[in-house]
Amino acid sequence: MPIKWVLHWQPNVGTSVNSQILNEVSQCVESINGVKEGRWKATLTFYKPMLRDQSLAAEFPRDFLGILIPEQPNKYYFVIRAQRIVLESDSSIQTIMEKLQSYKMRVALNFEGFQYQLGDFQLRVGKVVPTHSENLRGIVMEVEYLPVSSIEKSRQIMEEFLDIWQASLSKRSLPGHFMHVEPNFTEYGLPDHYSSQHTAVQYANVMAQLIASVQSVQSMRN
Amino acid sequence: MECVVQGIIETQHVEALEILLQGLCGVQRERLRVHEICLKNGPNLGNVASEVRLLCDLEQPEPAWTVKHVGGAMRGAGAEQISVLVRTMVESKVSKNALRLFYALGYKLDHELLRVGFAFHFQRGAQITVTVSSVNKMLKLHATDEAVPVTPGIQLVEVTAPASSENYTEVVSAVSSFCEYLAPLLHLSKPGVSTGVVPTAAAAAASLMSDGGGTTLFPSYTA
Repeated sequence: MPIKWVLHWQPNVGTSVNSQILNEVSQCVESINGVKEGRWKATLTFYKPMLRDQSLAAEFPRDFLGILIPEQPNKYYFVIRAQRIVLESDSSIQTIMEKLQSYKMRVALNFEGFQYQLGDFQLRVGKVVPTHSENLRGIVMEVEYLPVSSIEKSRQIMEEFLDIWQASLSKRSLPGHFMHVEPNFTEYGLPDHYSSQHTAVQYANVMAQLIASVQSVQSMRN
Repeated sequence: MECVVQGIIETQHVEALEILLQGLCGVQRERLRVHEICLKNGPNLGNVASEVRLLCDLEQPEPAWTVKHVGGAMRGAGAEQISVLVRTMVESKVSKNALRLFYALGYKLDHELLRVGFAFHFQRGAQITVTVSSVNKMLKLHATDEAVPVTPGIQLVEVTAPASSENYTEVVSAVSSFCEYLAPLLHLSKPGVSTGVVPTAAAAAASLMSDGGGTTLFPSYTA
C-alpha cells in the first residue's frame, strides 16, 4: 500500500489547539488545489487492565491501544508502544477481548475530518476528539504518496512536499506547526514496505505526542 | 457458536477412517499440523479466570496465526438431550506476534500441544470440518520438532460446524446424522464425555480396507 506520513499539530508554547486553526489548515489545503473527496475517521481506544489489586497496576501496560483504521474496516490493530508491539487481527478480536474480561475500554478518541486529492498525493486533515464529544484535543494530518510503498524510496519526495506545504501554511501565521516524528518501524519488526500496521504504529505515536504536549502545558500552568 | 463432538480411534484404523471420510465427503483431505498454545490470565488480572488459545498453522508456507476463544457450553434441558455440544467460539486471524502481545498483557503459558493429522472440510447440511490428529506434547518449550504423542497409538477425531443462535438445531442434526456414518469405526460424543474405542472398529476397518475406498461402502452407511 502507499506510503503515508502521519503528522500532528504542535502548538507554540503557551497556546493550544482550537477549531479556527483546523479551519485555516483545511482552507490552506484547498488553496493549493486540494480537491475535497469525503470524510474519514479512525478510532483509537485505550484499554486498561481489570485488576483485583490496583497496587499492581505498574506490572501491566498503560498504553495498550486498539485502533480501527478506515482503509481496513474488517481489521483491528493493537499497539503497545512501550514494548514496541503491533498486532494486526480480524475485527472479531474485539469480541474475544470482551469475553476474556481482563481489559476494558478506558477512553476512545476519533481522528476525523476530510480527505483531499492533490495530484499523486492524498491528504487527510482531522480533529482529535473523544467519541461522543466535540472537545478538540488535537489536529492530525496524513500525507499519502500514492505511487510508492517503500519508506526509504519515498523519503525525499515526502520531505519536499512537506517543505512546500509548510511554506504555504506559514503565510497564515498560525500559532504552531505540523510535526512528523517517524517511529522506528524496525523496532516493531516492520519492513520497509508500507502497510496498515505502519499506520497503526504512527497513530499510536501521534497519540503519545499529543498526550505529552497536553501534559507539558499542564505542568507549565502548575 | 459452534457444534462439536469428539471421539478417539486407534492409529491402526485411521487409514480406514480416511477412506470412509473420503467417500462420504467427496473432497480431498488437507494435511494438518497445528501448534496450539494455551494461555491463562495471571492471578491478578481480570474479573474471571480466562483462557485463550493461539493456533499456529504450520502447514502454510508462512506460519499463520489464529487467536481462538472457546466459551461456555449451552445449558438447559434442551442442551442435555442433544448428543452434540453447542458452545460459543470466536476466532480471529492475527499477525505473527500474538504470543508476545498476550504475554505483555499478563497472560501466562498454561500448556502447548502439536496436532498432526488431516482434515476434511465439506458442506453437508452444515459447513462441517472433521479433523483426525495425533496430539503431541513438547518436551522443550515450543520445540515442535521434538514433540512426542500424549497417547501413543490413539488419535483424536473432532467434528465441528459453525452455528448461530438461529440455526444451531439444524446444525446439530446435520452433525449428528453425519456422525452415524462413522459409528462402525468410532463413537463421537460431547467433549469430556469419554466413550473409548468401539468394538466393531477392527471389522469395519478391515471391510473398508478390502473395499479399497470404492464408491459403495457398506450399503447401510451410504448417504
